[in-house]
Amino acid sequence: MNYLMEILPSLLAGLKMTLGVFFLTIIGSVPLGIIVSLGMKSPYFTIRWIINGYIWIMRGTPLLLQLIFVYYGLGMIGITFPRFEAAVIAFIINYAAYLAEIFRGGLQSMPRGQYDAAKVLGFNKFQTFFKIILPQVIKIIVPSFGNEVINLVKDTSLVYVIGLGDILRAGNIAASRDVTLLPYLLVGLIYLLMTAIVTVALRRSEKRLNIWR
Amino acid sequence: MVTKKKKIIVNTIVALIFFALIGWVAIGLNENSKKTSQNNQTTSQVDEWNRIKKTKQITIGLDDTFVPMGFRDKNGKLIGFDVDLANAVFKTMGITVKWQPIDWSMKETELNTGNIDAIWNGYTKTAAREKQVAFSETYHNATQVLVTLKKNNINHFTDMKDKVLGDQTASSGDEGFSKYPKVLKQYVKDQKVVGYDTFDKAFNDLNAGRIDGLLIDEDYARYYVAHQPNPKNYTITVGDFPVDQTGVGFRKSDNGLRRAVNKTLAAFKADGRMNEIEDKWFSK
Repeated sequence: MNYLMEILPSLLAGLKMTLGVFFLTIIGSVPLGIIVSLGMKSPYFTIRWIINGYIWIMRGTPLLLQLIFVYYGLGMIGITFPRFEAAVIAFIINYAAYLAEIFRGGLQSMPRGQYDAAKVLGFNKFQTFFKIILPQVIKIIVPSFGNEVINLVKDTSLVYVIGLGDILRAGNIAASRDVTLLPYLLVGLIYLLMTAIVTVALRRSEKRLNIWR
Repeated sequence: MVTKKKKIIVNTIVALIFFALIGWVAIGLNENSKKTSQNNQTTSQVDEWNRIKKTKQITIGLDDTFVPMGFRDKNGKLIGFDVDLANAVFKTMGITVKWQPIDWSMKETELNTGNIDAIWNGYTKTAAREKQVAFSETYHNATQVLVTLKKNNINHFTDMKDKVLGDQTASSGDEGFSKYPKVLKQYVKDQKVVGYDTFDKAFNDLNAGRIDGLLIDEDYARYYVAHQPNPKNYTITVGDFPVDQTGVGFRKSDNGLRRAVNKTLAAFKADGRMNEIEDKWFSK
């Protein structure tokens, strides 16, 4: 117990990195995902093709590889990002692709009649989307969105490959220094705590959104 | 809703922008590969030593899980043999070291893209690495040893006959294991080795009896055994593996930097400062 208390500060320093990547990814990938999902329904085939290609690449290759490409690969053609920014960019474009598919599912579940009714009532395109469609879509996608958010909590551990010290690396350091597996146990508990908080927050929002039912 | 004319125009514009972007990236890649082939895997041709002298700062890459060469204490401070040595070496030149944690499998990429100026972290000289980086003079020697549980009575490499061996994947010990099959490989079970990503996990399996022996660098072996609850339960066996030479890795173009470090390392060896740091970390 004493030992766990001793290594906790270094793990919490790693936790800061984990949370930083987590929140910035959520903030960046949600709006980008919405834009991408709208683009998939574009009347212009070029836009649809490019977006489908983008989603294919993002979902078709490991996130670890994408991190390596964004940091080392782009560095080779002269586009250099600092480590942290590179990690956040890679996470945002990856998660936006997954979220876009989820939003698309939500948008497609909207009956045609909703759009017609909004038109009859005199809503313009933007009003229809933001006031009528989006609130209903959000309600539908909360469970699958939650899946992605919980995945993201754990995926942040991949940033080790570009030398960032997240909580799992902090655990690794403690484990190899003190020759014990105990730090991993503590790291596991902290991950569980994070996912528990996310789960509760999502349940709450689901309940609040249910007032329309 | 959208007229045919508008569709054609927008499609054309988007396609043009898209291909322009691809072309731009392709040109960038092409130029870069030209540069790379010109100066032998390094992106910069200039000697960075002048910049380092001017800014009084050097960035050194390390794997901060690399006990006892470079790791972190409980407060997160970087410590270790190589950390002490490098800090002391550059202090004599009035240069401060900025330590950059990196992923060990990416070390040469980090060096050659200029993210770090040197690799100084128990970096063993091998032929493959020498193609990519320029090494300093050897400042530390270590060999690969076999760690076993005392109760299993394994005192020679030959005692490992039909026993299970573990090591760290892609370590220099792993390389030596396949390169010199006569030394150890011919004895172990199925002529195969169990690879671990870090030694603490391998030690765990040794204690649990899932492996009988662990092939590991001498320095780590002594550190790990000393930090086990009962150091007396282990046997460290030195065999016939060749000695690994440890050096500092630099870009091939950074001759000035390499010469300066070599000179200081030689001075440290001559006046005993090297011994002092060695005694601190490798006390037996």
